Amino acid sequence: MRASRIVKEGIQSLGANKLRTFFMMAGTIVGIAALTVIMAMGKGTEQNVMKKVNSFGIKAIMVTAGGGKGFSPPQEGITTLKLEDLEAIRSQVQGIELLSPGVMKRGSSIKAGNAQAQATAFAVESDFYDAWEWQLTSGEPINAEDMSTMARTCNLGTTLSRTLFGSTDPVGEYIQIGATRFLVKGVLESRGTSPSGGDMDNRVLVPLTTGMRRLLNVDYISFIRVKVKDIKDLVPIGDEIRKILHERHHITPPQEDDFAIVTATDIAEAARGISGTLSILLIALAGLSLIVGGIVLMNILLISVNERVKEIGLRRALGATQSDIFMQFLAESLAITLLGMLFGCLVGWGASLLVGMYAKAPVIISWEPFALAVVFSLTVGLFFGIQPARRAARLKPVEALQ
Amino acid sequence: MIEVKDLEKTFAKGSIATQVLKGASFSIDEGEYVAIMGTSGTGKSTLMNIIGCLDRPTGGHYTLNGTEVESLDDDALSHLRNHEIGFVFQQFHLLARASALKNVMLPLIYADEYPEDAEERAKQVLSSVGLSDRMDHRPNELSGGQQQRVAIARALVTNPSIILADEPTGNLDRKSGLDVLSIFRRLNGEGRTIIMVTHDEMTAEHADRIIQLKDGRVASDRKVQDPKDPQKELEALKTGEDDR
Repeated sequence: MRASRIVKEGIQSLGANKLRTFFMMAGTIVGIAALTVIMAMGKGTEQNVMKKVNSFGIKAIMVTAGGGKGFSPPQEGITTLKLEDLEAIRSQVQGIELLSPGVMKRGSSIKAGNAQAQATAFAVESDFYDAWEWQLTSGEPINAEDMSTMARTCNLGTTLSRTLFGSTDPVGEYIQIGATRFLVKGVLESRGTSPSGGDMDNRVLVPLTTGMRRLLNVDYISFIRVKVKDIKDLVPIGDEIRKILHERHHITPPQEDDFAIVTATDIAEAARGISGTLSILLIALAGLSLIVGGIVLMNILLISVNERVKEIGLRRALGATQSDIFMQFLAESLAITLLGMLFGCLVGWGASLLVGMYAKAPVIISWEPFALAVVFSLTVGLFFGIQPARRAARLKPVEALQ
Repeated sequence: MIEVKDLEKTFAKGSIATQVLKGASFSIDEGEYVAIMGTSGTGKSTLMNIIGCLDRPTGGHYTLNGTEVESLDDDALSHLRNHEIGFVFQQFHLLARASALKNVMLPLIYADEYPEDAEERAKQVLSSVGLSDRMDHRPNELSGGQQQRVAIARALVTNPSIILADEPTGNLDRKSGLDVLSIFRRLNGEGRTIIMVTHDEMTAEHADRIIQLKDGRVASDRKVQDPKDPQKELEALKTGEDDR
């Protein structure tokens, strides 16, 4: 095939000046590498976001005592969030599947025999398990009877269970929270790290009634867990709840709230936040280096056309048509960008792994950036190669040979 | 095979038009060995470019092997150059980074059909110009005379009907020049048409016919009574050296 012979001629001239070839590839290498890293980070981040949202609950809204923006655990010592608030929300807001209150106390000291631990004590309703979509791995949940009898029963998180009982099943054993003895009824399945970074498994659950009266002696709650029926209603329901609480707590913005409302949507946005800005920066870098690299490529190719005027004239004299010359130079340009793409992918791959290892950013390497790299590098090679190739093709053989 | 009639060529540079060819006419038959002579500025290079299909006339007619060249488009001209004409240039015009063999194979890339025995052919023509032991050498590893012989091999590889040589001995020492001229004489003996452009009377005398250009027209067109024999001159050169 004539075309393949001509393309070969174009590719062969790459080896002629290796340093120049490298400079022509540099922009593509950086651009494609940046692109690969962005996509690996983007994928990793998205997976991380989903993980966080799942650990928070995808249909969940948390109403916590204490002000502040963004997601943070409830502040202790805020006494304004009451069970009456929960009832008001229940009666006024449509689209809620479950409302589950709780009181929490961090750093409660817990004992079992000689073993000691610090954990967060949660006093919760019997619908806790539905509201949090949290199952038990063994034993029984806290039920309505425990609630009504103010029973001294509890469930343990896996971390606390391990600290107190090692690998033996604690169901049926007793623990002591402060000075009160509790029967361990069940063990919660492991939930891992909370969106704010705490260990969600270092906890003990007790019945709300028992917790409020016997253990903590309080008339307020730390949080209300809301589970909505439809994921689309997360934000509007959050807004409605805020309105009701403003009214009941006599707060008029800009006065600061004494509560915080966080939805699963907020969690997702917060998780994307930082990496989102970083992605935009990297995308800008990738785009810029592809364009700058393309312009450099075009200029060096134009210079090389000028340097090779005699060669072009000779080829024309020996029978090359204008399109032969055009094709030769375009092939050269495309070969450069494709080669640059290959190196770029390798560099990007390595950089992604390094980012994953040292920056602790979640990184997932997939095939998509490589497919995109082929498209981008071909586009750059074509777009910036056409002008030099056309100039080469349009040289008049007589003038070129002089 | 070549017929040139009232050939004109005018170069326009801005508003200044320079007429270089002012109606040159002649014809060259197959198998002839012709030198086109003239001092610089007489239009001999322009004429050579037109005969070589590298340029078009602005007036007159040029027929090559029965084809009206002035009516052809750029692609057809390229095709004609590849098929019918083998160029030999004063500055050799070899690709610096390619071996002698690759240089000789270059025109075949642009042939309609790439011959399966391309490399064999190239080796064969290189041998025929006495370079069988220099095929892998790059131009900078070859002498001027050897480079010009590579260029002749390149001109021959497509088996063209005409060898068109522009001052082929201009950049060579006397012995290398005579080597080139003896190759031309041999090729002509094999029936190949040779057209050689030169300003040098001594070189032109090797041809069978001299067309003298003057001021864009044919001033004289004559047969050379007793063309010089490059072999004899080479021998004379050798004896001269031996005497010293």
